[in-house]
Amino acid sequence: MGAEDVASDLETSRSYRVVAELATGLEPEGVAVDTGRRRAYVACARSNAVTVVDLVGDVVVGEVAVGREPMDIAFDELTGRLFTADLLGETVSVVESSSLRLVATVGVGLYPSGLTLDAKRRRLYCGCALSATVAVIDVDTLELVASIDAEPGAGAIAVDARRSRVYCANFLAGSLTVIDGRRNRVLQHAEVGPAPCAVAVNPARDELYVANSFADTVSRIDLATSAVTGSMNAGRTPVGAAVAPAGDRLYVSNRGAGTVSVLGTEDGMEWARIPVGEGPGGCTVDPVSGRLLVANAGAGSLTVVEDLLAERPTVSPDEPRHELLGRQLPPFALPDMRTELVRTSREWAERKYILNFFASW
Amino acid sequence: MILIDVWEGGEARRRVQDYCELWGIEGPVLLDEAGAYAKLLGIRGVPTNVLVDSTGIVRAVGAGNPDELHAEVDRLLQGDPR
Repeated sequence: MGAEDVASDLETSRSYRVVAELATGLEPEGVAVDTGRRRAYVACARSNAVTVVDLVGDVVVGEVAVGREPMDIAFDELTGRLFTADLLGETVSVVESSSLRLVATVGVGLYPSGLTLDAKRRRLYCGCALSATVAVIDVDTLELVASIDAEPGAGAIAVDARRSRVYCANFLAGSLTVIDGRRNRVLQHAEVGPAPCAVAVNPARDELYVANSFADTVSRIDLATSAVTGSMNAGRTPVGAAVAPAGDRLYVSNRGAGTVSVLGTEDGMEWARIPVGEGPGGCTVDPVSGRLLVANAGAGSLTVVEDLLAERPTVSPDEPRHELLGRQLPPFALPDMRTELVRTSREWAERKYILNFFASW
Repeated sequence: MILIDVWEGGEARRRVQDYCELWGIEGPVLLDEAGAYAKLLGIRGVPTNVLVDSTGIVRAVGAGNPDELHAEVDRLLQGDPR
């Protein structure tokens, strides 16, 4: 879907307003905000680049080449440096935001897929899925200072700055590794739901949230004890999470549904469901405007959303009935990956079958 | 099960071949590179499963997580149209 297509398709309801949907590079996954320059940076994995967005005009203003398949992104306001976790490059790329140039690369573990910054302690943490480690980088010297054993699928990562604890979600293990950030030592591994893909800290409630992508749930963790205290329902295949500045709500991007769920952090209920682009991935909140930014991996776009809810609405969003249900499947004629020959739905006539839509990312 | 790959952003065949080799995926894999068929069906994310009965009627859409998919398959096999 191109920018022209989405521009005419912006949606508004009483609970949200889609301000813009901007075409980015291919497979945008992670997004970070530079409050000083009023920019968003979007890691576009299949473009090996970062798309630069002006948040005042809601326009794309540039692109920076980084390592192979940048998956996640973090911005350091103090130095003005931007960091990407390059999945296939096995590096963290370092970009100077003043010049928008790649200035360094730091080697990390295998399949680096999650990043977070502890700005006060000047440490960047990178979850490396296939080496099951967390790389620790000094953001001033750009040196790798430690590699900490986590569990298989180490990826999404967040910091409890108050306690200097680091939480790494392990996608393949279905667990959360808790690290003492002062000593670079594992404190514990906690079981969460299947395939945890995103984590977000809520300082206002002293909680951490973990999106369990194979269960359509979000685990709630008490940061004081690192114990799982509950669970909330999200949409289909939640893979991104961001906490609103007031801490009263959590935004969860649902890759399987093309939506963002707005979850109340106190009541655990879904307050609203916002349609965004196809296959949404990472999301974050612009702390200046309060707007939600969602990277849509399938659509190749960034959705900018204004949350209009002052409080929990009296009515929860309906679960919409899909328009295809009970209807004849429209016929298909698509090339076979192996033979390149076109195959049609007639081949499967009078049989029960499942069409599984997927992407390799 | 028929797998339909969408939204690869170029080089779909090569990428999907690598992916199927990595995960040992067999069976039919079709390419909907621009996502036109997905769009026709109103598919907005991945994974999405569309369950079709023997008369070609769509009985379920979604069922992205394993538990939900197993439940929908059971219903389809039992002929429960709901």
